[in-house]
Formats: sequence, C-alpha cells, structure tokens
Amino acid sequence: MDKDIADFTLEYAMSKKVDYAEVRAHRGDHQELVMKNGVLDAYISMVDSGFCVRILAEGGIGFASTNKWTKEEAKTIVDIAHKFAKMAKRKDKIAFAQEKSVKAEWKVPQKKKIEDVSPETRIETLVEVDKALTSQGINVAARMFSFGTSMTEKYFVNTEGSVISSYVPRIGAFGFITVVESGKPEQAYKQFGYSGGWEALDQWKLIEQMTHEAKVLQRVIKEAKAVKPEKMDLVCGSEVTGIAAHESCGHPMEADRILGREMSQAGRSFIYPKGPFWLRTRIGSSVVTIVDDPTVKNSYGYYEYDDEGIKARPRYLYKKGVINEFLHNRETAAKLGTRSNGASRAINYDREAIVRMANTFVQPGNMNEEEIFEDVKQGVYMRSFTEWNIDDKRFNQRYVGREAYWIEKSELKHPVARPVIETTTQIFWSAVDAVSKKVEYDAAGCGKGDPMQVAPVYTGGPLVRLREVYVK
Amino acid sequence: MSQIPAKTEEVVKKGKALGADEVIAKTTFGRYRQTRFSNNQIDISVAWNDYVTDVVLSWKKRVVATQIRNFQSVDERVKRLFELAKVSKENPQWGGVAKGKFRYQKSKADKSVENLENPAEYVLEAIEAARKEAGLNINAGGILFTRLEDVYQVSSEGPVGEDRRSAIELSIRAFSQREASGHGVECSSSLKNFDPVRAGRKAGETAKRARNPKAGTEGRYDVIFDPLFVGSLLGTWGSMTSAYAVMIQMSVFVNKLGQKVASDIVTLRDTPASYSMANRVFDDEGVPVKENVLISKGVLKTYLHNTSTAKIFKAETTANAGLVMPTPWNLELDAGNMSRDEMFREVKRGLYLTNTWYTRFQNYATGDFSTIPRDGIFLIEGGEIKQSWKDIRLSDNALKMLTNIAGITKERQHVHWWGEADPPSLSPYILMKDVQITRPK
Repeated sequence: MDKDIADFTLEYAMSKKVDYAEVRAHRGDHQELVMKNGVLDAYISMVDSGFCVRILAEGGIGFASTNKWTKEEAKTIVDIAHKFAKMAKRKDKIAFAQEKSVKAEWKVPQKKKIEDVSPETRIETLVEVDKALTSQGINVAARMFSFGTSMTEKYFVNTEGSVISSYVPRIGAFGFITVVESGKPEQAYKQFGYSGGWEALDQWKLIEQMTHEAKVLQRVIKEAKAVKPEKMDLVCGSEVTGIAAHESCGHPMEADRILGREMSQAGRSFIYPKGPFWLRTRIGSSVVTIVDDPTVKNSYGYYEYDDEGIKARPRYLYKKGVINEFLHNRETAAKLGTRSNGASRAINYDREAIVRMANTFVQPGNMNEEEIFEDVKQGVYMRSFTEWNIDDKRFNQRYVGREAYWIEKSELKHPVARPVIETTTQIFWSAVDAVSKKVEYDAAGCGKGDPMQVAPVYTGGPLVRLREVYVK
Repeated sequence: MSQIPAKTEEVVKKGKALGADEVIAKTTFGRYRQTRFSNNQIDISVAWNDYVTDVVLSWKKRVVATQIRNFQSVDERVKRLFELAKVSKENPQWGGVAKGKFRYQKSKADKSVENLENPAEYVLEAIEAARKEAGLNINAGGILFTRLEDVYQVSSEGPVGEDRRSAIELSIRAFSQREASGHGVECSSSLKNFDPVRAGRKAGETAKRARNPKAGTEGRYDVIFDPLFVGSLLGTWGSMTSAYAVMIQMSVFVNKLGQKVASDIVTLRDTPASYSMANRVFDDEGVPVKENVLISKGVLKTYLHNTSTAKIFKAETTANAGLVMPTPWNLELDAGNMSRDEMFREVKRGLYLTNTWYTRFQNYATGDFSTIPRDGIFLIEGGEIKQSWKDIRLSDNALKMLTNIAGITKERQHVHWWGEADPPSLSPYILMKDVQITRPK
C-alpha cells in the first residue's frame, strides 16, 4: 500500500470543487484452501491492494477505484468520481451528518500469529477434520471445507482531516457435509469466523463441532419424527436466535433500507416514516433486547472505526421490545436528522461503504438453561437451522430446524424431523417470554449491496423461549 | 495495455522454468461502471478499473493459484506460488488442463458500453417509462451496469487466446404503493437494441397491476412464472449440473445421468452466446466454449465439466472451467409452443409470479427448498388476473418442480438480476402444475 498515493489522491480531489472527499486504501493478504471429500482441490494465496475515492459534489456522490498505484491513475479516478457526482443532478441534495475528524491507528492483536502458521499446518487442519469425520462409523458421503485467512491493512483520509490506519487479521472456515443412511441424505453446514490470530482454532474445536453435526444428521435420519402442526412452545438455540436477530431486527433497522436505497435489491423495511412501526413502537416482548455491537472482542464483525471514520459503539436496536435505534452511516443520519453510529462498512477498496451490521445478538436474560425448559409442557427445541429466509420487508420469515428435539414435560425426547416455524417478525419477538443467561455466537457472511458485498458478522444470542407459536 | 500479452506469457514461462507441470495465466483489464438509483433519483455512480492476472499452477498434482496485480512483481509472485505448490498436498483427482492449440470465434463484444455519454439518461428513461404505466407517484430504484473486459490468456499446454467481453444491464423495481411493486430488466452484450424503456414499462405495468394486494392463501396451485422468476429457477437447476456440485451433493442430479429428471417439454442448454451478458469465446483453460445440452426432452444428458472433473466422470470437458469448479455461463430453456395468452387461458385457478428472492435449501440432495415471491403476485381465475396478493412463500422441491412443467412459451427474454437471477439466462414463461404455497402464521 502506498499511502503517499492515497494522500495525493485526496489532495487532487480537494483541488476540485467538492463538498467532501475521502480516499480509502486496502491491502489484503489472503490465503484460502478448498478441500472436497478429503482431496485438497486448490491452495490459493494472493495479495490484493487498491484504493478508491468517494466525492460529494453538487449534492451527488461519485465513486471510483483502481488497483493501479500511480498518480496518473489517481487523477483519472478522481476525475471520474467528480464527473459522476455532478451527473446525479438530484432534486434533494445528499448531505453527510456532521462528525468530528479523527486521527487514529488501531489493530487487532494476535496471540498466535497467522503469519507464522505454515501452509502444511493449514492443510493438516482440514485433513484432520476430514479424517475425524470419516472414521466414526457414519457414512459422511460428501464433505466440502474451505478455510481462509486474510490480513487487511486499511488507510482512510478525508477532506475533514481524518486519518485512520488499521490492521485486522481474520480467519474463517466453512464446512458442508452430507450424511446418508439407508439411502436418505441429510445435510448440514457450519461457519466459523474470528478476528485475531491462530488461537481461533483452540476456540472453534472444528473436529468436535463437525463430528457433532454428522452424529446429529445420522440420528435425524434414523430417529426423527415429524411434528404434528399446531401451536406450541418453541425454544430456540443460540444459532436460531441469532439468525432471527440478524434477519428480522438487524436488516430492517438499516437506515438505508428504511429510506429506500436498497429497494431494488434486498428491498425495503417494514419500518418506514409514517408507517405502523417506527422509533419507540413496540415490536416484541419486554424481555427482548437486540444489540448490534462491532466492539465485541475478536468477533468476526469487529472494528474500532467504520469506513467513514466514525468510532464504533454498540447499537441497541430493539430495546425491551421497542424499536430504539437504527443503523446509520453519515448519509442516512443526515436524512433522518441524527448522527452516524458507525455502521458504514465496505468489504474492499472497490466497493462503496454502505450501512451494515457487525455482530447482532439478543442480550442475555436472567434464566438458567434448565429454567427455560422447566415450564414447557409440549414443544420443540430448535437448536440449529438449515433452510431459512425472510421477505424483502423483513417481516415474513421461516426457519427450518436441523438439530431439533421434542420437549415433553420439560424434558428433551426424540429428534424432530425438520420442524418449521413460518411467522412474522412481530409474532416471533412478541412470543418470547424467557431468555437465558449465556450468549453464544456464530459466524456468518452477510450479503447486501450491488455489487454484492459479503461482510463478516456474528449472529448470536442465548436460548429464547417462545410461547404458543405455530410449528409444522 | 500493450504489455499485457508479453507479461502474461512471462508468467507462464517463469512458472515452467521453475519446474511447474502446468501454468495458466489470464490477464483481465476490466472497466466496470454502475449507476445506482432509488426514490427516482441517482444515489451514486461508480467506476472500477481493475487490472489482474489470475494464475493457476500445478506441480506433481499439487494445485495452487494466485492473482498478480502488479507486473513489477511477477518474479516474486510466481516464485512464491511455486514454493507453495511444493509444500501443498497432492490432489489425486487432478486431471490436468486442456492441451493443444485451438481456434476461437472472434469476439462480438461492443466496446461502446465502456463510455456511455450519459448513463443517467438511460436511468431516467426507464423511470419515465415506469411512470407512464403506473402514474406520477411511482417510486423506482435500480441499477445501470456496464462491463468491458479485455482478456488475454496463456496456457503452458498450448491454448493462447484473446477475448473481449461486454455487458450492459438495467434493472428497475418500481413501487406504485408501499406493498405493490414490479421489476423489469434489460440485459445485453451490446448497446444495439438495448432499450431501457422496455424494463421501465414492465416494472410500471406490474406495479400498477399489483396495487391493493391481499394476503395470499396457502395451498397447491398451478403457477405461471415470469421470465425473471424463471431466470432464478434456471440458475438453481443449472448450477446443480456442475460436476463439482454433484460431487459435494449440492445437487438434485447426483447419479441421475441418462435419467428422466424433467417433463418431456424441458430442454435446458448452457451457452455463452454472443447476445449474452456472459459472452466469451473460451473457458478458463482456454477451451473454446460451446453449446451444451444439459437436459434434453426431460433427460439429464451431461454435467458441466472442466478437464479434471471430466476425467473423474469419464467424460469430455464441456468448456465450463473454473479450474476448481465448473460453472454454467448462460442458461437457455428451449422455447415451447404456447403464446403467453394461451398459457394464461390454461389456468382455471392459479397464480402468476413475476419475481422471487432469498432461495434457500434445507437439503440440496433431495431438493427441498423455499423461496419468496416478490413484486407482482397475482391470482388467476378463468385465465385472467383477478387479484393482487402478498406475503406468500413457495415451499417445494426443485426436482419435482422440473417434472411438473406443463407449458413453455415461444416468447423468451434474456434476464439477469443481482445474485437472484444468476447466471444470465434466456428464459420463457413457464406453467407449472401443483406448486406448494405457504404463508406465515
């Protein structure tokens, strides 16, 4: 990364008639392995670097990027971005919320440096998982794993005097398995993510987690029974709680969606000005508080400053069941008369920063896990999910259980075959009457934007208990 | 750019000189432009210039890959890549890459997509067309995207090729009310016959018709799928024909070669033809692309292959490399013999679904999945649209749906939209019997 070129780009942009300009440079060192059915398909190692400029002029925004580190190219992209900004000719001019300039340097420390881990060790990590899966007497007929590390250096400067440098090592893994018994296949996938060093592997317990999934699938095929469709209690494990928090709280609370900027891609939101839901409207029960927090140490979505140079902080989205605070960047904050809360993220130098979640989770309650089940006469415990989706206003959603058990008189009984909850955001969160003490996280890649930007995030939560919801 | 061929060849020579068995280098100079709009106004216009050389190298069946973004660092990057190969793990299934010299068709790409005089005009024309259909209160958003790529590719095994690939796409979603919308797309490889008004008109027409939607009802319905929705279905089925998807069982087509997998009227092809946004003349091994019939009259004929997967399946490459994963380029469902009107007349009580999103599987091997229709969702009675619906989900099985296709129109449209109707396709309207619809409770 050539910071001088980035600085030059900003200086050149300032020589134009601009209301605001920023330059963001990235350098990423990436390594990725792909293994299929015990065979290492490929080992990919690459360095990616480039820079972009975003210009606000005459109420429009222009953006251009390049990976060619020359002053000539820098001038070219500034000229294009400036021309594009002026081309917008908007009736209502875009403005950015006023924010203080920042000079900062931050990085995520590593206990075991990823740079010191040899390719052989990385390969062996996947080989060991595959061996474990195929040596436990279960027919894991297909396995696919990917495993990657990225070391991302960023440099951000803007016309307001902000200068921010950062360095984030990230590590991620993904596993997809198919277990076949008596000709019947069941499938599971699991994602892992961490900001920090190789110590992530100690936490993930890849072998334990993937072999658990294989055992679960085998048991589902052999023992699971369909549930009789009716209203019943539903206990959601952290994985299910987390995806519900992400999909039906995090996404609809993104202010750019609320204002319509994603209308032709990921859609809008059930929350909109003068609609039935807005700030201070109840959406769930009083035990439901959902937070999006980029500052969770070593989380997959960790950052200290967002990609507009705003200090990160926790955002209380639904607070005690009430819509409390949207996720903002500077543009949406200006439109809604507030301040940015640091939710602007870009996955690389060649993408504009847009409003994103970081780590979205249900806050813990005061119950032990045993107490959650204690009071359930009949119901389903959905520990993890397979299929899931939600409509583009983020109201009509569906989660299908992967590991799920029938609950009778507070006790877990047989596995349940792919139980389904298909309901609305309001019904889901209003039905929650109990929340356990312990929060657990899962890594995910959150897709948004056009072109698509898949951002590293955590989803998570404790156990939550829903009363009298329709399960089929 | 004049140095691209020499530098790309240098990468291959360096790799071979170090002792690599096979080296492929592909240099792409890409110019990408996009204008995003919402609420009838332009939000941002974006330009990306990207210079990248993708390198794949094998040594004793160890396969490694990298990207070089600066020709000054060729020596260092290739050396590091070769060192990585030496410590990597053998892939016993590696079948090598294509060998020999090939003749390629001349690219018919349109360089003029690179520098549109005023892309905003296309956007405003599309919005205006939607407004004419659905009225002044229309609220529209979308993108105009152009891509021009100059590609130079060299393989140590013989293939050397040059290609230019161009694309232009306009996608517009128009809202006539908060919960009434329509979506139109216009996709092409060239500016010739590119008409943003067509997309705007479609979005506006559908949005107007979608006004005052009622909550839909669960049940099994005969369904007419619009080409945009069909594009999404073809993407699902087409991706599942990749040999890689088959090997990891992310496919309903495992062990089904030569078997009946669809109704008799279904013939599905893959071809990166010159009209397509995915136009190209060779694949990532340098094999000349061709048309492949994936499903012929309902029978699964082939998986999509690169050289390596073809050897595993004792087949020939279909020129769909991806060095690791073969992928479809541009899917085509053969035209049927019905007109759109005839298709509607066939439906006594059913649905017309214009678009969908968020398709997710609970089991790829069995094909159980759901997807969420959006934009115009219409109840058909007696062959006519009677009501606009909302809040439903299609919850069914991908394989069963293929066998339930009962009608295909003569009319087809080249469609692509975001990650949902992807890869691009040539899609007709289709009529499908007995589709399960669910809704939230």
